Amino acid sequence: MLTLLEQIDKGTLWHSPGGIHPPQLKSLSNQSAAKRLTPAGQYRVPLPQVGDCARLSIKVGEQVKQGQQLTDGEGFMYLPVHSPVSGHVIDISLQSSNHASGLPTLTCIIEADGLNQTIDYQESALVELSNQQILDKIKQAGIAGMGGATFPSHIKLNPASEIDLVIINGVECEPYITSDDVLMRENALEIFKGIQIINQLLTPQRIVVAIEDNKPEATLAMQQCLARFDDLTSIVKITVIPTKYPSGGEKQLIQIITGREVPTGSIPAQQGVVVHNVGTAYAIQDAVLHGKPLIERLVTLTGEQVTQPGNYWIAIGTSVEYALQQVGFNADRNQKVIIGGPMMGYALPDYDVPVLKGTNCILTPSANEIAPDVEEKACIRCGECAVVCPALLLPQQLFWHAKAEEYDKAASFNLKDCIECGCCSFVCPSDIPLVEYYRVAKSALKNEAEEKQQAEQAKIRFEARLKRLEDEKLAREEKSRLAAEKRKAAANASSNKNTVAEAMARVAAKKLAAEQESKQDKPATDKSAAVKAAIERAKAKKLANQSTISNTPDENASTDNLPAVNDKKAQIAAAVARAKAKKLAQNKATLSENDTASAQNEPVDDKKAKIAAAVARAKAKKLAQKQAESASDMDAANSQVLSSEDQFSQEQAPQVQAQSEIGTGTDSDVSEPLDDKKAKIAAAVARAKAKKLAQKQAESAADMDIQSSPVQSSQEQSSQGQAPQVHTEIGTGTESDVSKPLDDKKAKIAAAVARAKAKKLAQKAAESENKTDVESDDRINADALISPAQTETSALPVTPSNVSEPVDDKKARIAAAVAKAKAKKLANKQKLSEKE
Amino acid sequence: MAFKIASSPHVSTTLHTNKVMQRVALCLIPGILAQVYFFGMGTLVQILIAVLTCLSAEAAIMKLRNKSIKNALSDNSALVTGILIAIAIPPLTPWWMTVIGCGFAMVIVKHLYGGLGNNIFNPAMAAYVLLLVSFPVQMTNWVAPAELAANQVGIVAAFAHIFEFTSAGLDHFRIAVDGHTMATPLDTFKTDLSMGMTSSESLQRNVFDGMTGVGWFWINLAYLAGGLIMLKLNVIRWHISTGILLAIFVCSGFGFLLNPDTHASPMLHLFSGGTMLCAFFIATDPVTAATSTRGRLLFGAIIGVLVFVIRTYGGYPDAVAFAVLLANMCAPFIDYYIRPRSYGHRAGN
Repeated sequence: MLTLLEQIDKGTLWHSPGGIHPPQLKSLSNQSAAKRLTPAGQYRVPLPQVGDCARLSIKVGEQVKQGQQLTDGEGFMYLPVHSPVSGHVIDISLQSSNHASGLPTLTCIIEADGLNQTIDYQESALVELSNQQILDKIKQAGIAGMGGATFPSHIKLNPASEIDLVIINGVECEPYITSDDVLMRENALEIFKGIQIINQLLTPQRIVVAIEDNKPEATLAMQQCLARFDDLTSIVKITVIPTKYPSGGEKQLIQIITGREVPTGSIPAQQGVVVHNVGTAYAIQDAVLHGKPLIERLVTLTGEQVTQPGNYWIAIGTSVEYALQQVGFNADRNQKVIIGGPMMGYALPDYDVPVLKGTNCILTPSANEIAPDVEEKACIRCGECAVVCPALLLPQQLFWHAKAEEYDKAASFNLKDCIECGCCSFVCPSDIPLVEYYRVAKSALKNEAEEKQQAEQAKIRFEARLKRLEDEKLAREEKSRLAAEKRKAAANASSNKNTVAEAMARVAAKKLAAEQESKQDKPATDKSAAVKAAIERAKAKKLANQSTISNTPDENASTDNLPAVNDKKAQIAAAVARAKAKKLAQNKATLSENDTASAQNEPVDDKKAKIAAAVARAKAKKLAQKQAESASDMDAANSQVLSSEDQFSQEQAPQVQAQSEIGTGTDSDVSEPLDDKKAKIAAAVARAKAKKLAQKQAESAADMDIQSSPVQSSQEQSSQGQAPQVHTEIGTGTESDVSKPLDDKKAKIAAAVARAKAKKLAQKAAESENKTDVESDDRINADALISPAQTETSALPVTPSNVSEPVDDKKARIAAAVAKAKAKKLANKQKLSEKE
Repeated sequence: MAFKIASSPHVSTTLHTNKVMQRVALCLIPGILAQVYFFGMGTLVQILIAVLTCLSAEAAIMKLRNKSIKNALSDNSALVTGILIAIAIPPLTPWWMTVIGCGFAMVIVKHLYGGLGNNIFNPAMAAYVLLLVSFPVQMTNWVAPAELAANQVGIVAAFAHIFEFTSAGLDHFRIAVDGHTMATPLDTFKTDLSMGMTSSESLQRNVFDGMTGVGWFWINLAYLAGGLIMLKLNVIRWHISTGILLAIFVCSGFGFLLNPDTHASPMLHLFSGGTMLCAFFIATDPVTAATSTRGRLLFGAIIGVLVFVIRTYGGYPDAVAFAVLLANMCAPFIDYYIRPRSYGHRAGN
């Protein structure tokens, strides 16, 4: 038994099943040497990745040189795009694309200026470059597979697995197309230089250059050239394979050369095989040795409707219309313009579209060459399609199920393994466009899978909601049970009036504590927040009935709530709340926090948020009235609870929405800049509020109690004039979740900046250092309100599960730093608005 | 400027259904000629009646279904069905039987199931079975081969007999022919065995020429030749025919080796009755056959085994029609369970 390498050296070829022998018609275009097309005046370079993983690096009206990069970006699939010409950008807009659909895509239109300014093409020698440098050069040159699939080449040249065999694909099995044929005849030297580079990157044991036996000239040229590369002669083998369509398909070629099949669902690299097109090898050589990006390619212009068929070097971005006009195109009635070959190429609806990196052929057949479409007739199950299928499928069964829209059954016949080569349609005696049926079925299956996934997510969400509601119910029942017990106990206990009075006071304080807690925990996870909200609502009702019900059970009821909350958080919250309770007693201005908060909520470019803000303002007004009426602090607190609840529920909406937006990964909203004007207005309102508060506070006595709260440190650093400046640990709870994906470095920088800022502010605030507790409350809430906005502005993807994840210490710290940075941003905005 | 758009591929072969059917019809010619040579002009008259009936039945149905009559008739499938029915039935079958058979094949078997490509049963064989069970006497009375008959069945005699003219001038034609109808060799063989004769004794009768039936050997050979031409033209693939012939050969070979006295020889099986016609022209109807290559081999083998079993142990002398219909029933299941291994899949996926 010979090993695979021995077999390859021996020249053994394996059988690839199926396949057809359509008329070649290659002599139409390969009789003359490649020519260069007269440069066009205008070029359109599509930028499909902009908005996905790339950014524009040029502006309309800007001067560009030939070879200048038009986009930059990162991401696995990102591939730079370059200007094919020296000129200036006259427009960047949606233009119809070189695609079967003709759907518009973002396109940069460049008008040539005739100055022929080019970027500095850096020549380099292979020996000087490291593998990483080579890969970078290939990536920067924007090289994609030139065979038509246009998969980024640098990815295929940097595989995760060991590569034993590289196949250089010069098969070109489609009828009519001769661009690879002519390239091999005329540029064999460059192709081998490219192969040298591929060899250095992948270090395979063998490199097989596969050429069909209908290209003897190309084979000869390649063989003669190979003799000049001493380092390659032992590795590279030129193998001539029999002419059969679709031998040039990646999987088919691997089968012919190695006898192995690529298992379904895996890529050739996992089998230790990589296939590159000869055109790609040429482009790699150009990029690495000459520093030239991929801005032109060899295109076959052929078909009976052009007078000068042949191969032409055409700059990418040249209009197909222009190219065809140059070779004497004469449109027939019912003319088809096909990009690619007659087997797998697509017909253009409109030919005013650019030539792309993968455009290897433009075919303009006459009616004699390609018959007009005929009517589809009944399938007679002759099975010829199964005989020619290179993927060994049963096309007639696939058709049967695809036509009946039984896509699951079609899938069970391995529809996904169809390579859409078109052999089945070619041989079909009933003229059934089988491939079209498969395409429809494939996309229907894809949609189905996506819908299924979404339904699953919805189910998870629904179940979570049911559980939450159940938990709430249980919590309520438990509370009322305990309350009833206490009531009984209280009835039995002594009726000392002093004790009752003391208890009343304690209850009031604790109630307030709980209420503040709920406010500060707003941004926390939906579930716990919702539970708390429910508890709060119940409590508020109870408070309303306070006079009629005994005080002692209430006290116990409020303490019962505490275990439900995270211990640490609860302590912090309790401390803050205690401080607030006292403050409330002194200053009713607290209600302005609603205004401030809602004002700061406005920068969120979100209708819901605006409505919420409006409602909150209304609430605040109502509150003000109520407070004016109420004589006691208790009443004020009571209404406060109500208002905060309402506000809370409204705030939830934008926040949840923000989460869902992030969850689905649509970034248009997320990356949308905040409305500047609104932000400024909001900032101005906030400032005004803060000033008012400052005046009020100046009147009120300093309250030293807050010093004991954990919020204190950040409060101390803050100034009165900048309400949203301070972020307490509690306030940033959600922010940390949301901004978690920010990398450490950024966070650290932000923190540093924020600290510097804070120091400055601390100096400013020296006078009012001890009176800021009301402000701090404002800020806490302001932060809570801003957090949805920040969630939206964060362009980084966060899954909903991340958002609800508990925060660990490290994250919290990073989050605090980020929050500080955010505060700084807001402060800057305010400064701007102040200047104005 | 807007261009015509279409889905790839943009080219296709020129071997369309109508051409395939046309080639099938043309490849039947050698067999038909042999049949005419041995059994007279009746066959040609039957072809005329059957084809006309089939075409008009199809046209009527297409009219009722509001579909293009021209498209349906131009695919030549009705033509082939008509010819197959005509050459399967005895050459002097009364015209109304032929019409009933063809109408049944077209209307009920083909179009009530959805038309071309959707019928489960082979229309020609279903029609044959209908006639066989409805009119067993007429369907088993075959014309005596020319060598054994006093006078050849001429075209006038054939017309007179088939259309049952009763005018005095034509009567002598009918009577002349009537005296020369007899059982087919397979029928004779079966009857003799049931009467206690050995196979070698039966083969001594005048319908046999020592090995096979007089004339039938050449007719089968002619159909075999036509079938080989179809294979060469890629009109059919070899799997079904091979399956049938191999199965018949193996089964009858075993039977003959075990007990030559009560079993027909493989030679008799392969070159008698409708064996070759079935193997190359009837069972290969793609609509009602299995579609994968392995499935087709199995489909053919089922027919072959059934032909042997029914001929040897069943109540009917020839079994081709029953075997084909029974195998038609199996075809969907064969297609479901026998699937080729797709590229990149391990066996069994």
